[in-house]
Amino acid sequence: MSNRQIRQSNAGVNKLLVTVLGCATLLIAGCNEPDNNEGVVISSTPLPVDTILNLSCEDVGIFTETCVLDDPANPFIDTAIVEFDVNNEDAFNKFELANAIPAGPEGAKARVYFWATALARRPNGENQWYTARAFHELYDAQIQVTGFGDPIIQAQALRAYRSVLDNFFGSVTFFECCGNINPSGDPVPFSVPLNELTADHLYRTESTGWARLVPGDPLLTQSLLAEWGYTYQPATGPNFDNGIVSVNEG
Amino acid sequence: MRKLSSLRRVSCFGRRLMVVAVMGLGLTGHALATDVVTTYEDENGWKLLVNGEDFYIKGVVWGYTPRGENYTYNLWGESDDFIRKVLDYDFGLMKEANVNAIRSFAMIPPKWVTYVYEEHGIMTVINPLVGRYGYTVGGKWIPRTDYSDPLTRATLIKDTLEIIETYKDVPGVLMFALGNESNYGLEWSSFEIENLPEGEQHAAKARYLYSLFNEIMAAGKQIAPTKPQSIVNGDLQYIDLIDELCPALDVLGSNVYRGRGFTNLWEQVDQKLDLPVVFYEFGADAFNSREFREDQRSQAIFLRDQWQEMYNKAYGNGEEGNSIGAFVFEWRDEWWKYLQVENLDQQDTNASWANGGYTYDHVEGQNNMNEEWWGITALGTANRDGVFTARPRMAYDVLKEVWSLDPYTHKKTAFNQAINNIDMDLLGLKGEVRQLRSEADEKQKILFFTGGSLRAEYLTKGTERELDERGENGLEFSPGEMAFLDFGFQPTDNLEGQFTLNILGDVADKEPLEIAYGRRGFPVAVVIEQEPGGDEVILNTTADITDRERIEFYDFSATYRAKDFDLHTFYHVPRFHWGYEGDFFGLMWEATDLDGMDIWNSKAPEGIEIEGKDGWMKGLKVVAGPEVYWGANPKVMLKYENRLGKRTEYAVIHSEDIARRDEGTGSTGATQRQSRATTIYTKTQLTEGMSLELGGIIASSEKIDDPYTRLETSGGSSQVVLDEIDFEDTLGFKAKLSFPMLGGLAYVSASHAGLVADGGNPLREFGTRLPYTGLGAKREYDAGIMLNYGYWMLFPRVLYRDALVDPNLNLEPSIVGGVLNPGLSVRNRESDPFAILGNRDTRAAELFITYDPTGATPFYQWDNDYREDAKFAFNIGLNYTEYPTPTDSYQFFFEPTGVNAAFGVGLPAEDIWEASSRIVYNPNNQAKFIFNLAAGKLQSTGDPNGGSRDFQSLAGMAVLNKKHILSGYIKKDAFGPYDFHRQFNITYPEQYKLDYSILLDSKRDQKNSTQVGVKTLYRSVDENSPGGEFEDGENDYLFQTTVYFLYNFGGTPPPAPRD
Repeated sequence: MSNRQIRQSNAGVNKLLVTVLGCATLLIAGCNEPDNNEGVVISSTPLPVDTILNLSCEDVGIFTETCVLDDPANPFIDTAIVEFDVNNEDAFNKFELANAIPAGPEGAKARVYFWATALARRPNGENQWYTARAFHELYDAQIQVTGFGDPIIQAQALRAYRSVLDNFFGSVTFFECCGNINPSGDPVPFSVPLNELTADHLYRTESTGWARLVPGDPLLTQSLLAEWGYTYQPATGPNFDNGIVSVNEG
Repeated sequence: MRKLSSLRRVSCFGRRLMVVAVMGLGLTGHALATDVVTTYEDENGWKLLVNGEDFYIKGVVWGYTPRGENYTYNLWGESDDFIRKVLDYDFGLMKEANVNAIRSFAMIPPKWVTYVYEEHGIMTVINPLVGRYGYTVGGKWIPRTDYSDPLTRATLIKDTLEIIETYKDVPGVLMFALGNESNYGLEWSSFEIENLPEGEQHAAKARYLYSLFNEIMAAGKQIAPTKPQSIVNGDLQYIDLIDELCPALDVLGSNVYRGRGFTNLWEQVDQKLDLPVVFYEFGADAFNSREFREDQRSQAIFLRDQWQEMYNKAYGNGEEGNSIGAFVFEWRDEWWKYLQVENLDQQDTNASWANGGYTYDHVEGQNNMNEEWWGITALGTANRDGVFTARPRMAYDVLKEVWSLDPYTHKKTAFNQAINNIDMDLLGLKGEVRQLRSEADEKQKILFFTGGSLRAEYLTKGTERELDERGENGLEFSPGEMAFLDFGFQPTDNLEGQFTLNILGDVADKEPLEIAYGRRGFPVAVVIEQEPGGDEVILNTTADITDRERIEFYDFSATYRAKDFDLHTFYHVPRFHWGYEGDFFGLMWEATDLDGMDIWNSKAPEGIEIEGKDGWMKGLKVVAGPEVYWGANPKVMLKYENRLGKRTEYAVIHSEDIARRDEGTGSTGATQRQSRATTIYTKTQLTEGMSLELGGIIASSEKIDDPYTRLETSGGSSQVVLDEIDFEDTLGFKAKLSFPMLGGLAYVSASHAGLVADGGNPLREFGTRLPYTGLGAKREYDAGIMLNYGYWMLFPRVLYRDALVDPNLNLEPSIVGGVLNPGLSVRNRESDPFAILGNRDTRAAELFITYDPTGATPFYQWDNDYREDAKFAFNIGLNYTEYPTPTDSYQFFFEPTGVNAAFGVGLPAEDIWEASSRIVYNPNNQAKFIFNLAAGKLQSTGDPNGGSRDFQSLAGMAVLNKKHILSGYIKKDAFGPYDFHRQFNITYPEQYKLDYSILLDSKRDQKNSTQVGVKTLYRSVDENSPGGEFEDGENDYLFQTTVYFLYNFGGTPPPAPRD
């Protein structure tokens, strides 16, 4: 082999080495595997216990808005909210989690986030109705805690209730009742139209025990519903399960 | 001064003696067992003698390639009857034009050499290519023949001499010619030669070439002393080496493209070689690239003048006297020459190289040689015999006049006067009239009908339950009719295209066993709302619409050719990936499975492409459209590729989604989020056989700051961590080193891809089933080595991959004491920036063993079933893959809501395997058998319910007499035939198919021939089958039988069923 050939051969090897090393450097530089120092641990997130709520956006909690999913104050952004599965009634579902939120005013704000998140993820009448209830409860909690209910929350609760009627008029939710009438002793599920529950919550203080969203004479509630385009024939005792909401013609 | 080696003088003298001896025996004419062909020289020059008589070669380069075919077409595999029809047609026309010899690239079987000689008086040059376009050496296909390699030389010598042995006594053989411009194909590399100064490298290689030729010719003369030996050289390159190294050469053969004349060629040959000269190729193309039109006159003028010069240079005319004739390139246009595998049924007008000698259309800096327009006849349509006709051009008529003259018997002044007196105007008019008539017959320029097909079928189907309950009344019957009509258009010379209309009659209801193109025409039930009137209650009614969408555009493509670029539009026509064009990360998916798309009436691919071909645009491609490959979001893709020096190529690609598609791929294939990616790639040839490919990718930058969750475990406790996508997560790198090892070709590859550094569809070659993926969030290594032992190939490959993060588990959220543990959900690619799916931890190994004695028909080519010409070839593939972790959730497209839905749970950890074999057996040219066997255990591609199952399958096809086709399969516990079957983990206990058809025309093509057939499908069902078919155990099986008739009149056939 001549000197020229040896030099050329060495040059080729050098070129190879440089290229392979460059390649390896690129590979190593690119190794961006997440490690334990990155990210935020969210396994133990304290739920908010106050009653002051800044709305994520104007329509938060109203179908079809989903801005609650982008609200950094929402503790449930990364929580799997599992809908009730009629084919697997025993499976873990959203009601178990919702029921674990502390009762009373200290859980009211968390419940708004919870149900608004559920609504944003799965828009249905049930989630809309529970969101409206949560706003309603938060409004009441504010009054309980501070003696003053935020009119923005009050208005949002009304808008959420109206969304039930406007967007999910025919939807129902299920309750369980009366295990004593079932030979097996298991509770018996029954459905209730959400439009009735919505009107009842607005019309009758006793139905929720919370402060009225439409203060004063219940007739004002009927007027409001009429403004929204609905006629409400209030439920009567003792069961208050015979109210009728109808859509006004024209 | 003439320079003649003593060896050559002896040789010439010896041959003259032999001719005298043969003549003395009185053996003359065609009755000879073999013709004695010799060269003769005296002071007047050289002659070629056949049985002692002057023979001035008036030849053409002949081949037969129908429209729609390319170099893989093999006329000699057709029936004798059809071959005879082709030969009688072509050689009849040749004989009429006074052609007396042909040269052919294809090796014409001896009996047909004799046939055209005896029937038409035309002799044949036997032209072994001697590795010009690659060769199988030691059982391994070598694409660039290394003439310096001892084994290669021995192989080529042996094989070529066998050819000479075979043809030496075949009546009709004129002489032997070796190679084809082989001096232009000295492309192999070796250290020894690469170390020479650049200018000497090719000369060094040429020495190997010519010394090899001489060895063959010298030995060939011993075998076939009655036939001259020649070579097919590219012009006169290396003439000094030829003189030095080829003393056995009898006739210098050369392909010469010097324009209207041959300049000083005669003198050079005379002075340096003193040999007779035959042109194995020369001529002129009939397309004027400057005026962008067929130009018969210029071609004819060039050919006339070229022949006139040759005649003047023939024996006895007072000049060099060394011209013994020539072969015009070529007899008939070949429509495959440009691009070779594309646009095979259209005559491309692209000029692919430049030659200033062709003054009628040469423009400095522009190409003017149109590869598909060199025929002295144009490629016409098929006649009633199925033979593609030859429409004589003006050149044919001019040469007919020229060839009626004999440069030996006519005086020089006489033949010159005769040639000068040829009435070019009259013959030009004749050619133009033929052209106009042909165009009128074939196409009306602006819009013309090119062919079509018609399929009619009658279906009977039933289920076990229906038959049980209703007896014969449980059977359903339905007819179906479908037609395809193909049209072309060419409103201007640089704009051309085609489209196909599909027309439905009845639509046979084959579902669920077979889902087929045409289901758009199924009746649709609609509710008709009634206007209320007064107090009367009027109920809505329903009705079936049965006549909707009876006609649709099936496909469309058009090309506008400009100087620097071509603009293509494409709508449901095949398009290829860019894997060999620098697309290291597979951003451009291949879209060739049109039959698969047709099932769902998808019209992908759809878009436009600008392809730069000259100037600054060379190397640039821009593609844009609503679905440039199946399932693609509306996007724009840009690619630029070029070279850096001799050894490095590079490419940059950017892909940008401009919207998100709102339909699934197929029935349930999930849509993809709108995204973008940019890649850069280089490939460097490091040393001989060793190359290094490097690539980088930046992808999904729109996902930066998107949150995702993961579970981290340390010290026995787990916690849910919320993290965000960073810029680094969009980056990926990949390197692949290929190098020779153990006599084979090995590769090692490593890649790292950030969490969202998603590429596209990786290139898969040689039948691999290794679970490659384009998804990011992985670190991956793979390696393999392709080993060749004779006709055997062993190809072991391994793949090791770790996902950068684990898939999520479904952990229930909880709230305890006002503290929320949000739990964890499996990710999916809709709600999360990434998901661990096919990119999960993987350890896979596979081995493919292949036996294929005919490397020129690659076993793993997509159409090998059709092309494979080995008597027996097969492979065995074994693959074993461990998935030690589960996946996140796959998704499917849920049509009722128009959005993706996640399965909600991932696939479990699993070990899977698959063994398969494909066998091709061609006992003779009248029979072909193909078998595909497979067994294994496979996992769903979506729904984990039901787990993985073992399966076995056997599929086969027999083609007898190129007329009877029997195909079928038997499958046990296998997925159904459609993608959604595996996506939803749907299997059947048994699946059977039997299909028999008889081809009724001479095309002998299973898909394109007119045919009649009957097909039966059967599937048994169980709880793993679709609920609607299993019917909670009420039904055991489904079956159907279809009788079908396909009439193809030269157009698009119905999509092949995927059953």
